[in-house]
Amino acid sequence: MNQPAVDCREVTLVYPLVRDRPGSFKEQVIRSLRRRVVVDELSAVSDLSLRVESGEVLGVIGDNGAGKSTLMKIMARVLPPTRGRVVVRGLVAPLIELGAGFNPELTATENVVLYGAILGRSPREMAGRADAIIDWAGLSEFADVAVRAFSSGMLARLGFSIVTDINPDVLLVDEILSVGDQSFREKSRERVGKVMGRGAATILVSHDMQMIEDLASRAIWLDRGRIRREGSPRTVIEAYTGGAG
Amino acid sequence: MTPVSHYDSDQPRRPVISEIANLRRYRGLLALLVRRDLTVRYKRSMLGVWWTLLNPLLTVAVMWAVFSTVFRFEIPGDVPYVVYVLSGVMLITFFSQGVVASGSSIVDSAGILSKVYVPAEVFAVAPALAALVNFGINILLLLVVQLIAGVGVPLTAWLAPVPLLFLAMFVAGLGMMVASLAVAYRDVLDIVGVLLTLAMYATPGFYPVTIIPDRFLYLVYMNPLYSYLEVFRGLIYGGSFAPGWMWAMMVITSGVALLGGAWTFSRSWRRLAVLV
Repeated sequence: MNQPAVDCREVTLVYPLVRDRPGSFKEQVIRSLRRRVVVDELSAVSDLSLRVESGEVLGVIGDNGAGKSTLMKIMARVLPPTRGRVVVRGLVAPLIELGAGFNPELTATENVVLYGAILGRSPREMAGRADAIIDWAGLSEFADVAVRAFSSGMLARLGFSIVTDINPDVLLVDEILSVGDQSFREKSRERVGKVMGRGAATILVSHDMQMIEDLASRAIWLDRGRIRREGSPRTVIEAYTGGAG
Repeated sequence: MTPVSHYDSDQPRRPVISEIANLRRYRGLLALLVRRDLTVRYKRSMLGVWWTLLNPLLTVAVMWAVFSTVFRFEIPGDVPYVVYVLSGVMLITFFSQGVVASGSSIVDSAGILSKVYVPAEVFAVAPALAALVNFGINILLLLVVQLIAGVGVPLTAWLAPVPLLFLAMFVAGLGMMVASLAVAYRDVLDIVGVLLTLAMYATPGFYPVTIIPDRFLYLVYMNPLYSYLEVFRGLIYGGSFAPGWMWAMMVITSGVALLGGAWTFSRSWRRLAVLV
């Protein structure tokens, strides 16, 4: 298959920014009677075109508010683009925020099954993989503990272990790897390599330049919703740190 | 289960059809969510899952005590008041719990829905199904009460799941409408709470319909919940079939609610992620 795993064509995403948005129905009624609902718009991503091929690791860097997370959500099909078109081929595994999708009252094993089901895998299949997933995350002795008691590092390891185990075609990782310690980073680099080797496309958002340089095969620098620079991780990072600092 | 294979933002979303397809595709998740609704609530309690059974049992005991000694209405037919009131209160409770639970589901699961793609309808339908399971347990208790109270269990009781199925559709449909609105306006849930209290008193659950003055009777007949309740009562203990127009009302309102709910859901889907 020569088609790219992720194909964004002139994608724009506009957030409606209602100045003091009416939070309740009552207010909406009152205000529309007075005709005073002001809607502004904020383009988080503007006319962005991007292709990510299978087997590629794309690093995404940029300042806060540059549209990195919005771009990830567009590719994760959480946010439909306002204009333009997004095509994503295959199973998408987003690891976007720590513990989103985890239920604090459930045990690690139960959460593996739940998270897998949320990503579209069958519970039976996930139950069979649970031991291996928890083992890789180094949490075997906590398999039956409610994740309420887990530290952020433990949650990150568990989440990363799940999304890389389900054989995604597109892996979206937003920032969260930076909570891991040195040994976890080593392991995760190996694991990302394996996922790549299976032909998945990985998109990695991070403020950690070292991590981008280590893991990514290509990088983009996002600036106010547009791609400012694109190329090898080293050149993009140099441009970014030089331009920003 | 076939994973979601392709995503194309230009592909139009077909209302109703895509909801049904999504529920089918994510049935594994749906089952998990229903189980979670039923068990997690009691996870940190001493008796654990037994509460799922014990809770309705205690509620029934309280209602039995209250309604067989304190409040007593004369009920048309040879049915003890306890059986009449239990069947009514159980059904109305299921209705309002289901609508509230599925109406608040999207706001409650905003954390997941704004980060990972999951069809939101799975989260909206799960609480309605969980309420249905609870109602099922309640019905078993009702049958026990019928035996103790000497009413017995007529043959038609086997058909009782039919009105329940329609009621579940009704609840899921209304729940989806409320859920879509609740994303945009947080006070919708409060308004719905008030309306449900009104529905509770407007439906002859614990009082006989005969106490309603004739000139207001049409209001009761216009209340769809009354049709569900009468059909259900006829089957579960009456050994009789409610009039045809009540069956028709039941079938039509549940169909309209479900289609309307799925349609509202489809329409508001694009706004959902941006707002939650």
